[in-house]
Amino acid sequence: MAETRIRRWVPPLVAVVLILTAWQLFTVLSGIDRWLLPSPADIVAAGGADRLSLAGHTLATVRLTLLGFAAGVATGLLVAVVLHVVPVVRAAVYPLLVVSQNIPTIALAPLLVVWLGFGVLPKVIVIVLVCFFPVAVATLDGLARTDPVTANYLRMSGANRRQLFTKLEFPNALPAVFSGLKIAATYSVFGAIISEWLGSDQGIGRYMIIQKSAFRADRMFVSIAIVVLVSLLIFGAVVLLERILVRGRPRRDAHG
Amino acid sequence: MADPGVTPMASALEVSGVSKSFRRGRETLPVLVDISLRVENGEFVSIVGPSGGGKSTLFHIVGGLLAADQGTVRVGGQDAAGRRGLIGYMPQQPALLPWRTIEDNVVLAREIAGEPRRGSSALAREWLAKAGLDGFASAYPHTLSGGMQQRVAFLRALLSDHELLLLDEPFSALDAILRVDMHRWLLDIWEENRRSILFITHNVEEALLLSSTVYVFTGRPATVLERVEVPFARPRSDEVLDDPEFIRLKRRLTHLLKHDARQAR
Ligand SMILES: Nc1ncnc2c1ncn2[C@@H]1O[C@H](COP(=O)(O)OP(=O)(O)O)[C@@H](O)[C@H]1O
Ligand SMILES: [Mg+2]
Repeated sequence: MAETRIRRWVPPLVAVVLILTAWQLFTVLSGIDRWLLPSPADIVAAGGADRLSLAGHTLATVRLTLLGFAAGVATGLLVAVVLHVVPVVRAAVYPLLVVSQNIPTIALAPLLVVWLGFGVLPKVIVIVLVCFFPVAVATLDGLARTDPVTANYLRMSGANRRQLFTKLEFPNALPAVFSGLKIAATYSVFGAIISEWLGSDQGIGRYMIIQKSAFRADRMFVSIAIVVLVSLLIFGAVVLLERILVRGRPRRDAHG
Repeated sequence: MADPGVTPMASALEVSGVSKSFRRGRETLPVLVDISLRVENGEFVSIVGPSGGGKSTLFHIVGGLLAADQGTVRVGGQDAAGRRGLIGYMPQQPALLPWRTIEDNVVLAREIAGEPRRGSSALAREWLAKAGLDGFASAYPHTLSGGMQQRVAFLRALLSDHELLLLDEPFSALDAILRVDMHRWLLDIWEENRRSILFITHNVEEALLLSSTVYVFTGRPATVLERVEVPFARPRSDEVLDDPEFIRLKRRLTHLLKHDARQAR
């Protein structure tokens, strides 16, 4: 078990090390200007030099992301449950929901700023808008894939609507919910950065805007690295929660 | 049982004149026509009939999942039309919840009925041990063989604490050898607590081996072709299979079913 896990981690790790080495070699050998393409070593140095300010910005972004993610997940689950439990609402709203995803959410962000100002609320709404859809669709899908034989068994045994939901439909949908959560987790970081670009006095998005004006490519790369790291951490937390909550099923992936 | 309108002598199940059709677009598909049958308290009754005839549909009506177009269903003397939660049920597939341990699966029907958890848990462990499943209480269903999953599904129905158990082709997915084991197992458990069982199968031998009364159903639309009493004493041993009377009954029922199938074509 531990051995296969290590074996799975080794190839991507080797790939990352190779890419970074090639990058470092390229910048040194080609003599490309540092302000245009800094080397990995330059980037690490830049990050180290600015660590105090970066820590504050990172903290602000993490806080915003988690707030938005939580609100987005709650909205997504709520929408899914309501649409699932009330089929009439589902028939009316589901197509609208799908069509609404053709509106680039990002295009709505400036409008939200106009309406709601530069506070935390419009930012959270942006994140909710990008997050709730994958959660809602995945959850709805999972709820609809309940085994009819088992559902009939529960009904004939006297289960009411609530029991049918809590004992069968929702636990059955849980793996699907988690695939929605994983998508939403990465979207939420992305949503946070975008909303910080639009107007904020703190956060990694804000930091990037400042560095762009100063043509500091090295610091831009530091920001990107932090964004990736935050994404991975939130994603990892979701995977961990999934391991704890989703139990007792044969794993579908053969190499698991 | 304290219901004043119920006489203690009421049959476990009384189906009278039940008919049912499904609508498919403009067409109606008659599935059950004028079905009447009875399961006395503590009796083991089987229904034999060809697949697709409407046997599971009858269970769905008795279980309150579907409404009959005509006729009445009484469970323990009470009108059961559209009423759920009066019976213990074992569906055609085990239909266990894959995210629950075996013990938590076995207590599911009790949980739905609102029984306190602690008592159920003790009872579950006791029955798992009797059913040869001790050591599996905290295992998950996918780690069990097909036969073991069927036993768990049966225990779940048994522990639901209803007098009447509806078992829908519980062993049809098992191979012949395992099926014989399961017959022995089911008979042993049944002898011990004598619940009223209505058992669906398309296997004549299985029906004769297990039950005191066998109803032979026609193919779709299902009607009762014949009601056969099985005379062998209980507890039954496997030697019954070689009894000339058993062989005679088996031939006759097989002939009835075949003949009916030819007519349907
Ligand atoms: N809910 C339903 N709607 C429409 N047709 C159904 C429904 N349930 C069963 N049927 C049809 O009724 C017939 C009898 O089915 P079933 O009761 O499952 O037969 P059996 O259990 O004897 O094999 C089949 O032709 C099946 O397609
Ligand atoms: Mg059937």
